[in-house]
Amino acid sequence: MTAPTINLPGPIFAKLSPHPFLLRNLTPAASNSSSSAAPTRTNGRASQEARPVHITASSLSHAHGSALVRVGDTTVICGVRGELLPVERIPQFRPLVDNNSQDEIGGTGTGTGGSGALRDYDLLVPNIELATGAAPQFLPGVPPTALAQTLSTRVYSLLHATGLVEAADLRCGTAPGRSARRVGRIRRTVGTRIRKWERGMRRRRRRRRAEVEGEERVVAYWVLYVDLLFLSFDGNPFDAAWAAVVAALRDTKLPAARWDPDRELVVCSRTEERKLNVRGLPVACSAAVFMEKEQSDAPGEGRNWILLDPDRLEETLCREMITVVVDCSDGETRIKSMEKQGGTVIGRELIRGYVGVAEGRWKEVQKAMG
Amino acid sequence: MTATSAPEAALGVLPRADGSAKYSHAGYTVTASVNGPIEAQRRDEHAYEAHVDVIVRPAAGVGGTRERHLESILQSSLSQIILVKNFPRSLIQIVLQVEDSPENDYVNTKLVQASLNFAIMPALMQTAVLALLSAGVPMRATATATAVTIAQQDGAKRITVDPTPRDIETARSVHVLAFTSHDELLLAESEGDFTVKEWDDVYETAKAICCRSAPAKEGVAMVLDDEDASGPDMRQFLRSAAGAKVAADLHWK
Repeated sequence: MTAPTINLPGPIFAKLSPHPFLLRNLTPAASNSSSSAAPTRTNGRASQEARPVHITASSLSHAHGSALVRVGDTTVICGVRGELLPVERIPQFRPLVDNNSQDEIGGTGTGTGGSGALRDYDLLVPNIELATGAAPQFLPGVPPTALAQTLSTRVYSLLHATGLVEAADLRCGTAPGRSARRVGRIRRTVGTRIRKWERGMRRRRRRRRAEVEGEERVVAYWVLYVDLLFLSFDGNPFDAAWAAVVAALRDTKLPAARWDPDRELVVCSRTEERKLNVRGLPVACSAAVFMEKEQSDAPGEGRNWILLDPDRLEETLCREMITVVVDCSDGETRIKSMEKQGGTVIGRELIRGYVGVAEGRWKEVQKAMG
Repeated sequence: MTATSAPEAALGVLPRADGSAKYSHAGYTVTASVNGPIEAQRRDEHAYEAHVDVIVRPAAGVGGTRERHLESILQSSLSQIILVKNFPRSLIQIVLQVEDSPENDYVNTKLVQASLNFAIMPALMQTAVLALLSAGVPMRATATATAVTIAQQDGAKRITVDPTPRDIETARSVHVLAFTSHDELLLAESEGDFTVKEWDDVYETAKAICCRSAPAKEGVAMVLDDEDASGPDMRQFLRSAAGAKVAADLHWK
């Protein structure tokens, strides 16, 4: 007696037993392989095929920079808003020792000077929100999930590690170039004012003297609030989130700010804006490892597939994940970050090969960025 | 405390926990407790395997997003080496309390740092494995971890093992690698600016520390081995820490 065969439609099979469903798709039976010989994933992609990226910049009118990124059904919107932080409000503010040190800051040092300011004064504030309803597992009215917290830490870490934005570009100071020209006028106007108010002027006078000598003084920093909202969630959140952050920062235009010595305020121009200088184009590329045996104790046995750009179903069935952030904008491939966790399948050789896959992804995303 | 100091460990330091360990190395001191398998909460319950719950508590203050990230990394790694399939519908809870971390004299110390602290990962991993051993939780393999930095100095690359906070600040790239006792790469976290070639060098260095094959004979060979060692032998250390505990426990026989 043969066992009765049940024909289930795909979505029900996927819901009932997702692991065999995915496995069945990846290993097409030899008998009915006439039409689909190549193993495909449940979403119709090949194992090393990523979803196309669509990026729309400047989609928010009230942010200084924004981008909407769609990777398949994962949609994330990122808005960057700058706010001025006067240095008087920074606890433990250390004025720059000398202007020449700015040149060496730009390099690779993650701690000295410029990038140190980014970290010390918290000039970059990323936040990630997973909207209720973006995926069934996100419930309303709960505190930020572990996923949201992990993502925001990863974005924060990577923002600092890649040196995408530099503190030098976020500084607002008494411009050294113009000061010499303006000094005469400042002196005259200030001279009358000092005669008017005699009290509490010592500090101010010292500042003026510094300006007269042509020194640049930092008066405020721009703080960039980078807010990400997942409108729809279908796996691989980090790649989409990071692409959105980079696209939004590249789109950011901060209003021209200058120090008004008469009012002792930083004033922003209504019309004049200046594009934020973003260095490099790091692109994240994630993959998950799907194991043939769900129940085995020794993960080494059985076949496995590396699924590039996993969707939500695949992510729930895979333990081991790898994310590599590469930047090929200088011609040479530089790895900015690598995270591999949750398994032992991906070893040294696979990581080497995976960097090549990430380079391919970089080209795709670069094209989408335009 | 200098970075080159040898690792120290004590097992079974907490009387009430199923297993516990205290570990200090490279300026970090971490105490871990392991309870399990215990009854899982309804929402954590899994029909086929044990849920591994990792809680990281910082030295000061309450845990933030950074601790959540460390927890998720440790959780995914440890559930690979623990035989979770043996204990369906149960919970194995690992609490890691950071007691001491090295301070960087060059910068203002800030309590809240959202950025990932790479150097603490090996200490957390090592303590968790020791505590799991102490609790007698069945494992597929043990794990050893190390942190490595690459710095550019006078035009030459310099690889530093067990970096100090100052090393991390001046380094071009920071790497944390963990290997199982079957020499498999369990965890690889890197950050900074590096090439595949540099990563290969890091891999070799880390593997030499984590997976050095234990000397076949005790005595002379071991002494010689220690002299030309480029760093601490983590696997041997793990073995000797567990061995010392067993010897102490069986002393009455």
